Amino acid sequence: MSVKVNAGACILCGACSGVCPVNAVEVSVIEVHILDDCTECGLCAKVCPMGAIVVERKV
Amino acid sequence: MREKYDIVVVGAGPAGSMAARAAAQEGAKVLMFDKRRELGVPVQCGEALNEDVLKELDIRLDPRWALSKTNAAKLVSPSGIEVRIAERKVVGKIGYILDRKIFDKHLTTLAAKGGADIMVGTLVDGLILEDGKPKGVRARGANGRLEVRAEVIIAADGVGSRVARWAGLNTYLKLDDIETGVQFQMVGINFESPSMMEYYFGSKIAPGGYCWVFPKGEDMANVGLGILGSRAERRPIEYLRDFVARMPSLSKGKIIEINAGGVPVGGPIKQTVKDNLLVVGDAARQVNALTGGGIDSAMRAGNIAGEVAAKAVAGGDTSEKRLSEYEKRWRELMGKRLERYLKAKNVLVSLTDDDLDRLAKALSEVKFDKISLTDMLRVLIKAHPKLFWKLKGLM
Repeated sequence: MSVKVNAGACILCGACSGVCPVNAVEVSVIEVHILDDCTECGLCAKVCPMGAIVVERKV
Repeated sequence: MREKYDIVVVGAGPAGSMAARAAAQEGAKVLMFDKRRELGVPVQCGEALNEDVLKELDIRLDPRWALSKTNAAKLVSPSGIEVRIAERKVVGKIGYILDRKIFDKHLTTLAAKGGADIMVGTLVDGLILEDGKPKGVRARGANGRLEVRAEVIIAADGVGSRVARWAGLNTYLKLDDIETGVQFQMVGINFESPSMMEYYFGSKIAPGGYCWVFPKGEDMANVGLGILGSRAERRPIEYLRDFVARMPSLSKGKIIEINAGGVPVGGPIKQTVKDNLLVVGDAARQVNALTGGGIDSAMRAGNIAGEVAAKAVAGGDTSEKRLSEYEKRWRELMGKRLERYLKAKNVLVSLTDDDLDRLAKALSEVKFDKISLTDMLRVLIKAHPKLFWKLKGLM
């Protein structure tokens, strides 16, 4: 999975889950899980208020 | 705890707690889950609330969570023109800046005292579906994995809103439908008055949104902003750091807390009811799109949902048709208002900084002791006729 969540910056607000078009972001009490359905579209990274999500695209 | 409940509520924010309280008071057996081990934390909110919803829902004001009373607002345009509004005279309301950490726990306490069971530290991670209909929830937490069956599920799981999607409802937000916000709770700062809410506009400081200073006492305030991700060039937190640094009244203050969150501002979802399932609050996008405020509508919708769900269970019919009473009632109560705010937000985000400055200049010359919104729009259009087409939709 190339969507990475920086747990140190993440504040667990759930905005990422709100915009995920395939319901593949689970915000637990301690961390954000990117589930297998993820299509790496990057919306979660765009919406994250803390800049805690990075999509690493393979060239 | 039982293995089967009449109603399971997912999420113990204001919507969930009001739903659980109402349902339990109607005699239903209710279990409310929250993934958090401490309710009210992390705060994802500017914490402003109008007083009327408290009266409507019979919640006694308590200074432990109502930190300061607000009755005025200051709006500041991109070039610094100030418009002052005595809120009470314009919209007939006063408000409070809350401590959500205490307020949310208080609302959950009301639900518990009303008879609802509460399970914190437990994440609902799926629905039990039979023939496509929700029959309960799967969850995991401190006590391991568990399944709880229920006649009705109330999805109050906030902006992330996964539960409704598992039941087939569309709660997906587009980038333009979500304001992302960051807030500092600051001490040692100056502001004009502890009863005045301050709003700052401009594409440089908060593209597609605004910055706010909401006093929480004599020298403490929530200083935050919400922006549209689609228009922003940087992260919200960078805009907020810049805003604080630019403001002489704030720049020497100390940050004692950082909050962040997403606010759904695209209007309520089209359908909030399915067989055996209701959606409430931020999960249903029941938010004032103009201000981003959603506590009051969440509480009102939750209250209706709890009541309707309990009555439906008692009557042995929890079909979509029966539960649509909830949809009908919440739309009657606030549907039109939320639509109007959405239109107003769309106008606001279409204005340029120059438009905003002209409007502020016109408004700053008006005495606001008594003025209706229509009067206000007339003043605006007179001052800036070209804006007529943008503002027309609001008349």
